[in-house]
Amino acid sequence: MNVLKVSRWTIAAFVLPCLLIYISLVFVPILISFYSGMLDWNGIGESTFVGFDNFVKMLTSDAVFWPAVGRTFMLAGFSMLIQLPIALFVAILISRYVRKPNFLVSSYFLPVILSVVVIGQLWKTIYNPASMGGMINQLLIMIGLEEWTHSWLTEPKIAIFAIILVGLWQYLGYHVLIQFTGIQNIPADIYEAAKIDGADGFKADRYITLPMIIPIFKISVVLSFIGSLQSFDLIMVMTGGGPANATDVISSHMYKMSFLSQEYGYGSAIASFLVVVCLAATVIINFLFTRLDKKYT
Amino acid sequence: MKHNSSITIKGDINMGNRRGKWLSFALAGVLAFGLTACGANGGNTNGETPAAGDGNGNGAGAGDGKKVTITFQNIYPDPTDPKYKMIREIVSKYETEHPNVKIELDSLNTDQQKLKLKTQAASKEIPDITIVNPAAQMQPFVEAGLFAPLNEMVEQNGLKDTFQEGILDYYTFDGNLYALPDGNNIGVVYYNKSLFEKAGVEVPQTFEEMVEAAKTLKAAGITPIAIGEKDSWTGSFLFMNILLRTNGPGFLQSVLDGSKTFEDPAFTEAVDAFQSLVQASAFQEGATSFDYNAGENLFKTGQAAMYYMGSWATGGIETSEASKNDNIGVFKFPAVNGKGDPNEFMLAPGSGFAVSKNSEHLEETLDFLNFFMINYPIEAFKVKGAVGVAQNIDEDFAAAGYSKMAVDVLNLFKEVKGGDLSFDNTMNPGTSQIHLSSIQNLFVSKKEAADVAKEHQKAYEDNK
Repeated sequence: MNVLKVSRWTIAAFVLPCLLIYISLVFVPILISFYSGMLDWNGIGESTFVGFDNFVKMLTSDAVFWPAVGRTFMLAGFSMLIQLPIALFVAILISRYVRKPNFLVSSYFLPVILSVVVIGQLWKTIYNPASMGGMINQLLIMIGLEEWTHSWLTEPKIAIFAIILVGLWQYLGYHVLIQFTGIQNIPADIYEAAKIDGADGFKADRYITLPMIIPIFKISVVLSFIGSLQSFDLIMVMTGGGPANATDVISSHMYKMSFLSQEYGYGSAIASFLVVVCLAATVIINFLFTRLDKKYT
Repeated sequence: MKHNSSITIKGDINMGNRRGKWLSFALAGVLAFGLTACGANGGNTNGETPAAGDGNGNGAGAGDGKKVTITFQNIYPDPTDPKYKMIREIVSKYETEHPNVKIELDSLNTDQQKLKLKTQAASKEIPDITIVNPAAQMQPFVEAGLFAPLNEMVEQNGLKDTFQEGILDYYTFDGNLYALPDGNNIGVVYYNKSLFEKAGVEVPQTFEEMVEAAKTLKAAGITPIAIGEKDSWTGSFLFMNILLRTNGPGFLQSVLDGSKTFEDPAFTEAVDAFQSLVQASAFQEGATSFDYNAGENLFKTGQAAMYYMGSWATGGIETSEASKNDNIGVFKFPAVNGKGDPNEFMLAPGSGFAVSKNSEHLEETLDFLNFFMINYPIEAFKVKGAVGVAQNIDEDFAAAGYSKMAVDVLNLFKEVKGGDLSFDNTMNPGTSQIHLSSIQNLFVSKKEAADVAKEHQKAYEDNK
């Protein structure tokens, strides 16, 4: 690996400051978090060491925890199975049919740079009941589908889907941008060669674009998965995890436990769980894509 | 953190060879790990970092002998709130009299302040003066030994006698007083006179009439009761008033004493009564997605006929659109199923000013707080913010230009014959959270009262 022709010590010296910062800001807090997860502590006064009690409670007797985990993965699933394919499709269309794509891509990207609070408030008004001026419900009434109207954010069975939709909408442009850039970087001569051989249009996409975009697509997958696991802000703004925990995800549950129920130790246990899940997910996704990549290259 | 990705993309695109791929995987892995870590820390470190810088602003002035800086954490960040001006008024007065003392205001909104104080408390670095909620909510802080007793200070300049009788008990633990309240409020029902008239509804004398009134208002196309149930304490506050009627004062205390359980008939009766309100569509649609301000705004803009809230809302309602031409009235929460005394109110002793035990300038801080509290009612009265102040004010409110509604609220205060504190001021935070979400659930789905009772009982036993 020593292509730079400098001594290992020099490399070490240059890497060290960053490494130290990284360790102290990333690894140490994670370890501390694991440790706090083993405390019975309200975050203010004395703490007692209780070993794995918090973890046992979390995994066995917390009625909110597993549904919250389920919703978190649902978020990730929707994001990967619906958002990413749509984004890829849009990216392909843009790169093929649009002459000057920058404006379009930027427009898709716009919601990403808006504050989540703004987006949350915006969609809250859209979802409001008709009597409060909610757009969707008024539209439904206008076209005669009154029985389809719902109080979208407050019916426990529907609320989480209403939030997921907003998340999908917001980050669609983000993934369009990533994948569009990826497609742009596929050399044009490959397509030209394929054209001579008779592969054009969607056939070319099937045999050239899709295999060649895999490394980029992987980034989208990792980002969307990790992003979904951490989703917090949108949920706090739109429903606060309510009604009655029906839209709680791992991180909102963690927040409530740490700061509202003042079970700081227990909250840390949930945080540790989230770290483990994120790590495991990253490893699994990498593994799958390595295999996929090998198959096509 | 999402912006980092562009770097990785470039890395990936530029690297066609195998080594590049490995590197890119590593990069993506590191990136993902970085993201992971960020997210996980959210619960822990994020909160703690600000504490380091903000804990004690007083180190700066300590060098040159007499100069003293006192950090005053407070919850009046809104320049349109009369209290915003008031606190600055008193502070500048004190600073002129004591040129060596500088009061540094750390103004935050309520939720931020709660969070900040908790993180500061975790590292035992709380500001010289801070804000805490009464009774059960301040107990963990007291038990952690963070506050200085105010017993002696409150005797100076006759400060103690300015407070209403009994109010200081909520801030007293083991005979030591640890905080001085900025208010003392009661739960009342505000109503919109013209909307009542429009629907042909009278002020309800019983809870059953209130449910009927809600139905009539609803039929007339008017939202009967506004509530900001996304902040789930609002629904709990109302529910607890129903419980105060079905049981009389002290239900939670008897649960704590072990003489009653949540499966007591008084509790299930309250749950059923509360559900009858929900079933009558008394609250605005989608109530659980309205936060406190959004809920209150429905009432303030004349879109809802009733609003149950602590009397601290008086000032805001007074200046609102709906209140023009004396249009807003107040009434006591009525008897439920013929039970309960309407003169027993939900009591809401306000947030209290507490002093850090480890303050570097304890003496000056206590002296300032004494000055502050003595001037507090005087200045509050001037800016028309004196409804619900915890200290006695012998002034003519009506003559000073207070509205009829404000005077009505003040008259209700005179009829108070005890009552109960809110749930989270009585029970520990763990039980409270489950209670709050359980009551929030009643807004969206019908439950068996017995199940609600069991849920509460289990929560109480788990968190004992």
